[in-house]
Amino acid sequence: MIRRRPVLSLLTLAAVVFLLFPIVVVVGVALSRGDVLTFPPSGLSLRWFGEALTYQPFTDSLVTSAVVAAAATVIALAVGVPATYAVHRRSPRGRRLLQTVFLSPLIVPELVLGFALFQLFLVRAGFDALAALIIGHSVLLLPYAVRVTGASLEQADPALEEAAAGLGAGPVRTFFGVTLPVIAPGIVSATILSLLTSFNNVPMSLLLTSRSVQTLPVAMLEYVQTSFTPMIAAVSTLLLLLTIGVALVTERLVGFQRVFGRSAP
Amino acid sequence: MRSRLATVALLLPAVVLVLVGFVYPYLTMLVAPAANPHPDVPGALVNAVTDPYVVDIVARTVRVAGMATVLSVAFGFPVAWAISRASARWRGALLLAVTFPLLLSTVVRSFAWIVLLGRDGLLSKALWAVGITSGPTQLLYTEFAMVLGLTQLFMPLLVLTAYSSLAGLDPTIEEAARGMGARGGAVFARVVLPLALPGTAVGAILVFAGCMTAYTTPSLLGGTRNRTLATLLYQEANTSLDWSAVSALAIIMTLLVLLVTMAMTRISAIGARR
Repeated sequence: MIRRRPVLSLLTLAAVVFLLFPIVVVVGVALSRGDVLTFPPSGLSLRWFGEALTYQPFTDSLVTSAVVAAAATVIALAVGVPATYAVHRRSPRGRRLLQTVFLSPLIVPELVLGFALFQLFLVRAGFDALAALIIGHSVLLLPYAVRVTGASLEQADPALEEAAAGLGAGPVRTFFGVTLPVIAPGIVSATILSLLTSFNNVPMSLLLTSRSVQTLPVAMLEYVQTSFTPMIAAVSTLLLLLTIGVALVTERLVGFQRVFGRSAP
Repeated sequence: MRSRLATVALLLPAVVLVLVGFVYPYLTMLVAPAANPHPDVPGALVNAVTDPYVVDIVARTVRVAGMATVLSVAFGFPVAWAISRASARWRGALLLAVTFPLLLSTVVRSFAWIVLLGRDGLLSKALWAVGITSGPTQLLYTEFAMVLGLTQLFMPLLVLTAYSSLAGLDPTIEEAARGMGARGGAVFARVVLPLALPGTAVGAILVFAGCMTAYTTPSLLGGTRNRTLATLLYQEANTSLDWSAVSALAIIMTLLVLLVTMAMTRISAIGARR
C-alpha cells in the first residue's frame, strides 16, 4: 500500500502523528525535572509522579470519580438492560417512541444538562453533589447501555429463546439461562464503555461540585487553569497507563474494536 | 395481562430515570430556574439574542466549530479511505491508533497544546527558526489554537464514521467501474464518494455538534478573550445572580445544536438522493 499510494500513506502517517503526538508530549512533560512546562523537557525525573499521587484534591477526586462511575454504570445497566430486553423481545406498543426516549439524553449538550441538574438538585432541592453526580451520570450512560445491549440483542437469534420456551422453560429461566449468556458480551462492552465515559466526563460534572465533592477531570481542569506545573502531566500519564490497561482488558474480554470501534452514539 | 404488566415493569425504571434525571430538570430550567424569585426566561432570552456580546460569541462558536469540522473532514476522509484499502495488519493498527485517543479525557488530550503553543513552545520556536516570524509568538488563547485542539479531538470520530461507511462498500463496484473504462480519479469521484457520503455526513454532523458544545478545549486553549457559548454558559452559571440569563444561554445552545443538526441532516439527505 505504501509503495502504491505514497501521497495517501504520507497523509495517513501525518494524521496519526497529529493524533498521537500529544500523548508523547504529555508523557515527556510528566518526566520533567524542573517546574516549567516545556517540551522537550529539560532533565528527567519522576518527582512529579510522587507529587501527583500525594496531592489531595487529585486523590480525593479520583475516589469520587470511581464511585460515581461505578454507581452510574450499575444503575444505567440495571435499568437499561431490562428496558432494552422489553423493547426488543416483548414488542410493546410505541416501540420507536421508547427507543427515542431512552436515547434522548444524547441530544442535549451535556453542559446544559449539567446546569439543569445543578439548579434543580443542588440549589433548589439541596441534594448532595455526589447524589446529583450519580443521577446525572446514570442519565448520561443510559443511552450507551441501551444502544450497545440493544445491538447485541438484535444480533442474537430469538429462535434460541423460543426453543427454550418450547422445551418448557419459563420466561425468567429463559432470560437467565439463554438470553443473558448470549448478550453477555454486549453487557460487558456496555459496562466498559460506561465506566470510561463516566470517568472521563467533564461538561456535566463541571457544575455538580461542592466543597468536598469533585470528579477527577474537573479537579484537573481547575489545576491546569491556576497552576502551570508538570504535575498535571504526571496525573495525565497515570490516567493514560490506566486507560491502556482498560484497553488491554477490553481486547482480552470482548475485543477492542467491538466496544470502541464504532463511532460514539 | 400478566405479560403486559411484566413488560411495563421492565420498562418503568428506565422511563422514570429519564423523566426524573433529564426531562424534569430540563423543564424547570426552561421555565423557572431555581434561586430566582422572579424568573423571566423569555425576557432573558430576548436580551441575550439582541446582546452584541452574546451574538459575537455565538458567531465565534459556529466559526470555530465549522473550521474544525472542515479540517476533520478534509484530512479525516482520506485517512479513512486509506485505512479501508489497507491490508488487514495495517488496518488493525491504524484503527487502534485513531480510536485510542477517544478513550482519554479531554483535559489530557488538550493539555499538550498548552505546552506546544505557548510563547516558548515548540511551534513558536519552529516558526521563528524557519523565518516566518521574527520572535517568539503566543499562539495559545487564539481561535487558531481552539480550531487545532478541536480538530484533534474530533477527527477520530470522523475517521471512524467515514471508515465504517467506506468499509461497507462493495469493492466489486469499483472494479466494475474500472472495467467499463473509468480512470482512478473518476472512479473515486463518481462511485466511491457518493456512496460514502451519507456515512461521512453523519460523522461531520457529530463533529460539528461536538465542537459547538465542547467546553474543555475552548476553555484551555481559547482563554477568557475567546469565549464560546459553552465557556460563557459556565462562567455565567458560576458568577451571575440572574439564572434566567443562564437558562436563556442554555436554550440558545440547545436550539442551535438542534437546528444545525437538522439542517445538515436535511442537506446530506438531498445529496444522497442525487
